[in-house]
Amino acid sequence: MTKSKELLADSVGTTHLLLANEAIARGTLEAGVRLVALYPGTPSSEIGNNLFSMSPHIPDFYFEFSTNEKVAMEVAGAAAVAGVRSMMVCKGPGLNVAADPFMSLAYVGVRGGMVIVVADDPSMWSSQNENDSRYYSLMANMPMVEPADPAEAKSMLLEAYEISEKLELPVVLRTTTRVNHSRAPVEFGPIRDRPKQVEFQKEPFRFVPVPAVARTRHPWLLEQIEKAKTISQSTDLNFTEGEGELGIITSGVAYNYVVESLSIMNLDAEVLRLGMTHPVPEDMIAEFLARHPKTIIVEELEPFLETHARRIAQLRKITVDILGKEQGYFSRTYEYSPRIVMKGISDAINRNTPTEWETIEEKVRDLPDIPPRPPLLCAGCPHRASYYAIRTATRGKAIYPSDIGCYTLSIAPPLETADILFDMGSSITTACGLARVTGQDVVASIGDSTFFASGLPGVANAVYNQHPVSLVVLDNRTTAMTGHQPHPGTGLTGMQQQVEPLDIAEVCRGLGVQYVKTIRPFDSVADMVKEVREMVEWVRENQAPAVLVSREPCALLTAAERRRTGDYPPQYYVDPEICNACKRCLNRLSCPAMYQDPDTSKAVIDETLCNLCGTCVEVCPQGAIKQKEE
Amino acid sequence: MYSGSADIVNIVISGVGGQGVLTLAEVMAKAALADGLNVRVGEIHGMAQRGGHVICTVRIGSDVRGPIVDTGTADILVGFEPAETLREISLIKPDGHVLMNSHVVYPVAVSMGKAEYPSEETIDASLRKFTENIIKFDAMKFAKDAGSSRSMNMVMMGAVVGSSLTPITEKSALKIIVSSFPGRYESMNKAAFKRGLEEVREHI
Repeated sequence: MTKSKELLADSVGTTHLLLANEAIARGTLEAGVRLVALYPGTPSSEIGNNLFSMSPHIPDFYFEFSTNEKVAMEVAGAAAVAGVRSMMVCKGPGLNVAADPFMSLAYVGVRGGMVIVVADDPSMWSSQNENDSRYYSLMANMPMVEPADPAEAKSMLLEAYEISEKLELPVVLRTTTRVNHSRAPVEFGPIRDRPKQVEFQKEPFRFVPVPAVARTRHPWLLEQIEKAKTISQSTDLNFTEGEGELGIITSGVAYNYVVESLSIMNLDAEVLRLGMTHPVPEDMIAEFLARHPKTIIVEELEPFLETHARRIAQLRKITVDILGKEQGYFSRTYEYSPRIVMKGISDAINRNTPTEWETIEEKVRDLPDIPPRPPLLCAGCPHRASYYAIRTATRGKAIYPSDIGCYTLSIAPPLETADILFDMGSSITTACGLARVTGQDVVASIGDSTFFASGLPGVANAVYNQHPVSLVVLDNRTTAMTGHQPHPGTGLTGMQQQVEPLDIAEVCRGLGVQYVKTIRPFDSVADMVKEVREMVEWVRENQAPAVLVSREPCALLTAAERRRTGDYPPQYYVDPEICNACKRCLNRLSCPAMYQDPDTSKAVIDETLCNLCGTCVEVCPQGAIKQKEE
Repeated sequence: MYSGSADIVNIVISGVGGQGVLTLAEVMAKAALADGLNVRVGEIHGMAQRGGHVICTVRIGSDVRGPIVDTGTADILVGFEPAETLREISLIKPDGHVLMNSHVVYPVAVSMGKAEYPSEETIDASLRKFTENIIKFDAMKFAKDAGSSRSMNMVMMGAVVGSSLTPITEKSALKIIVSSFPGRYESMNKAAFKRGLEEVREHI
């Protein structure tokens, strides 16, 4: 659900219930941002979705879904070098992709303000790791701010542009899932105009970091970060509150848990809340540590602030107990909650934790087994048909490199067609490595958006080095997992213009793949089984890469389209007279819309959940699954 | 109990991806905001439409800061499905209220014969070990009666408002329900809301 109309409103002082991601989208208007470039990644996805809906309605504004994060960083970086305000947005692993231009941007700097929004994902709700992106700021010497809630997400974005322009450096706005996906009241400020155009002033001995230039830029960067320390020392983003002998240093979403914990525990403490976490306010921290011989550090993931506090205490010769992750009071894994923070604080100061927890945990141990309900491919998902065909054609014996998207959910039984995954695009390249050192068939799969994001170099590599790999491109016409953003294969741009789409099969042919075919899995699953078998045999014979594009729109897009038009195909049902309760449909497809009748053991289709793909019809050996007459 | 400030109301909504859990959380929070209350919502996206377990939190009260509802601190647990209600029951306060849809959605593991779905009696007895205040009704039937299974989240919205356990007024709730969805869903959503509201008002 995007709310472009609400976010576009020129209504200063009104309060709106917003996700932090929506507040950031609104913030781009209030900051007068001229250009935003991003590749979608949860937990940052709604920023792009909202800007996409808003973009045609904002004068002098440009928004794009870039093909990947490295591209987005370069597009937005160049705009800021030219002199306008720009923004790049990504999830934590996205900054890994964009790390190369990120490091150089710190050396060359920017003329217009630039903010890089990076959303980390403690607990890995939707990511392959929980890497702590704060170390990128440290490594690149790029200033960083960390909001604690949606209101701060917007206010800190505005502040970040001011800091960026003062220092001529991009600023990182680092969030975590619990900030991105919290809703809270946010007050709107005035919308700022954007320049229509600027003229690019050449300055190659700044913006082209050949070694001779780079050698002058590194000392410049270190000077800028010294100036940033002065800002960090005086900014309102860093503040202390409360009173007490105990000191607590915290940042980000953990700040909320600290405040709530102190209130619940009825504990007195002075809290140092750091909103600007790179560079940290050295003097402020030193004075705080000197005031509190016992200081607890509460931050999610790595001991980033904790290490700074220890460094500062050592430099300034302050005798203080710094209590945190190093002694095991707090964890380096997963996100925190008030309970985790209360436990950590209680342990650090030798206090008992509330006894109620144990009473409840005892009851939890007595609960009956609850059947697991992990996320699954949706009812009507074309990937289910494709993976059923891939698995059937190769009898489950091939190696199945997977990639990043909904289709990674095929890891679960009964599809079990995800064997190895590193990052975006790794399906093709891990297939190359596996094919070279095993004698096994390798059938990789990659989604359409991921194909354009990071698949192309892998395909070129497979062609160049003649790797015997089969690749199925699961082309569901959208970036489904992150909330249905368009991509080069759809031809719809971030400005909502329709351009000529890039055709995946043509791209593969252009890159020199000799065997390229396109099929529709919903036309016939049996045909797809045959096609996969043929491709794998061709690869064996020819010792070269082959591509099969399996093209069918995402079930959620199809369902939305049907709701819009009111045009539904007839329902499917299981004829109980014919069904012999063999359970093949249930066991082979694991479709959420099918279940077993507890009384008869026969299969049943839940009409409220069925998305009308018809894959089950072909899987039933009895012909018991039928479609109602029109 | 250690749930902090007395005026805080913690609501947990638990269900299956695609049932409208996220939408209910947003509508509920918007209604609270319309009533001039401070509110926070905690959501987890990404897996929400993919048939998996989904949980959302709504916290109302002037001292509310973060979005998380911890073990034993929920005033209301809104259960869209019996097993998913049981999965989150440890969050309820000893005197908290469970508002639960009785309509079962079988997990795929059960359909495949790899796990068993607990019996209705087992689920009810297990819930009762945490709180006596359990109100159970067939929200799926009410939703279908109102026009579509998709209005089930509005039945649950009605149930929450009908419980009078939150400061959200019926007036604000109806206002937000009307403004949040396309006009063609208005009468269906209102009917679903009213049915849920009456059901719980009668039984609380």
